[in-house]
Amino acid sequence: MAAVLANPITRRLLRIPPSYFVFLVLLATLWIARPNMLNLNIMGIFIRQIVPLGILVLGQLVVMRVKSIDLSGGGIILLINYFISSGSFPGASLPFFVVLALATGLVIGLFNGFMIGNRRVSAVIVTLAVSIILVGLVQFLSSGNPPGDVPKLFNDLYNTKFLSVPTPVLFWILLTAAVSLLLSQTVFGRYVASVGENAEAAHFSGVPVQRTVILAHTLAGLIAAIAALVQTGSIAVGSVRVGLDLPILAVAATILGGVVFGRGDGGVWGPFFGALCFALLFVVMTVLGIDEPGKLIAQGVIILGAAIFYGVRVRTP
Amino acid sequence: MHRSLFNILSGRNTRQGLWGLPLLVALLISLWLTVETTQFATAENLFNLVAQAMPLIIAAIGQLVVVLIGGLDLSVGSVISFTTAVLALDQPAIVLIPAVFLLAALIGLINGLAITRFNVHPIIATLSTQYIVLGITRILRPVSGGTVPEIVIAAVSGSFLGIPYPVFWGIVVIVAAWKLLYGSRYGLHLFAIGGGIASGAESAARNFGVSDRRNIILAYMVCSCFAAVAGVFLAGRIVSGDPNVGLLFELDTVTAVALGGTQLSGGIGSLHGTVIGALVMALLANGMNLANVSPFVQTAIKGGILLAVVGLQSRKKMGL
Repeated sequence: MAAVLANPITRRLLRIPPSYFVFLVLLATLWIARPNMLNLNIMGIFIRQIVPLGILVLGQLVVMRVKSIDLSGGGIILLINYFISSGSFPGASLPFFVVLALATGLVIGLFNGFMIGNRRVSAVIVTLAVSIILVGLVQFLSSGNPPGDVPKLFNDLYNTKFLSVPTPVLFWILLTAAVSLLLSQTVFGRYVASVGENAEAAHFSGVPVQRTVILAHTLAGLIAAIAALVQTGSIAVGSVRVGLDLPILAVAATILGGVVFGRGDGGVWGPFFGALCFALLFVVMTVLGIDEPGKLIAQGVIILGAAIFYGVRVRTP
Repeated sequence: MHRSLFNILSGRNTRQGLWGLPLLVALLISLWLTVETTQFATAENLFNLVAQAMPLIIAAIGQLVVVLIGGLDLSVGSVISFTTAVLALDQPAIVLIPAVFLLAALIGLINGLAITRFNVHPIIATLSTQYIVLGITRILRPVSGGTVPEIVIAAVSGSFLGIPYPVFWGIVVIVAAWKLLYGSRYGLHLFAIGGGIASGAESAARNFGVSDRRNIILAYMVCSCFAAVAGVFLAGRIVSGDPNVGLLFELDTVTAVALGGTQLSGGIGSLHGTVIGALVMALLANGMNLANVSPFVQTAIKGGILLAVVGLQSRKKMGL
């Protein structure tokens, strides 16, 4: 085992994010099981469904690069969906809702960042607690019933296409490219990489560790707000359950994409393919007739498998 | 004397953490409920309270064992649901009850192995087993139903000398946990390993000849087994298997442990603190029910308490 792991070729292979392998395996499975499903139109619809997750992954990967985690996305999505669908703001325009959503995400992200970066509270506990509070609040405000309808414009925008590619997918790709540039070209990106590699060393080299962590979480909150807008456009109604399983899927996709607590080998496109894997996985499972419990098990096995894959890699000298 | 009382109340210079304050809070809530409502201070309500608090007390003690070594087990809730689902499988009790504990120990073993052998972060490892176990539970029992063996129901609903059985469950579990944490070599090792991890010297205990890997694996197995005990108790109370009964239970256990003054970074904490923490949670739930607070608001309030108690603990390092 140890000799195999120390082999240079194996080590080179282990640096490639697992998401690429899993993507290829799933593609091959689908190709064998249902070759007629592999056309641009059908795939476009499946991939469009995964866009909120894909956007949430972008925020998740930034916080995971600074050795933190954000599980509050579910609460943020639910709250913003409630704002838009409850009719609390009658006659409000689309720009108003966009600004409101971004402000909500900003405030919650900033709060998460402050608690984690400044108060040094466990990131899992803070973001889970924030999510529980938000979910409880929304369910109380709507008395457990779906609030109402979403302005039609949201769904119309979601259904548009640009050169036969669904607009949401295009938007996701552009946003991913933007985050990729942010992490590779800016000072903030360098700070994120150095804090993730070794927070103590970064601190003594003059990197503002605390500010970087707070900023990363604020960014994650903003991105979760964008995901909430897309998710609301996609379901087109108010809901008290929407998006609750997204944060954990985002963690899974990010780990699958080769970004694990402090290490960013997968860059931004590894997790991008991680999210695509889940799009394919759900298609494959539906095709094979596996229900919701099977999906839960698959999620767990993927997270554990990817984390073990990473853990074994770290062990090698 | 004065100095030590101050230390206990402030949680300073002690391995036991800050547990005097939650005790005070528990007494204050009880006092307030006694004055405000007529139903609270009746023997019936108090025995009811113990029965309601018991699953949380049992599971929180399990969580404490893991927290003491600087870990966290998020699979507790799923193990509880899983236990009730297995118990409702319509097999003889002589098969089901040992099976439940074997399976729980197996889940703990998987957690422990992933964490110690494969270098997976405890939260990630237990989060994935949470999903896997929940999935298996939903396959066994998609919606609540089935009946659990007679003996399990009888073990939680009867009474002896006017004292209901749940009180005895509490005494047995607490005595067993007391023996484990304070009366055995293993308990001493737990504190040693946790203290080392909390102060950033992961190998401290190993350097003194304490096998940290084996003890950490054992801690996750103990935690899962305590969760299984809580699951058996709950199954007896609800008489059927329910895939959602343990939903978010892991967070309640973490809240109870943190409320009892245990440091989540490991090494500092106490059994009595955890029991008091769980009692405070149960008292709050009881009080909010008596005051007709909406269940959704109760969830939000629980989240707020978790945020507050964990937010008040200062840590040296940032992280998960």
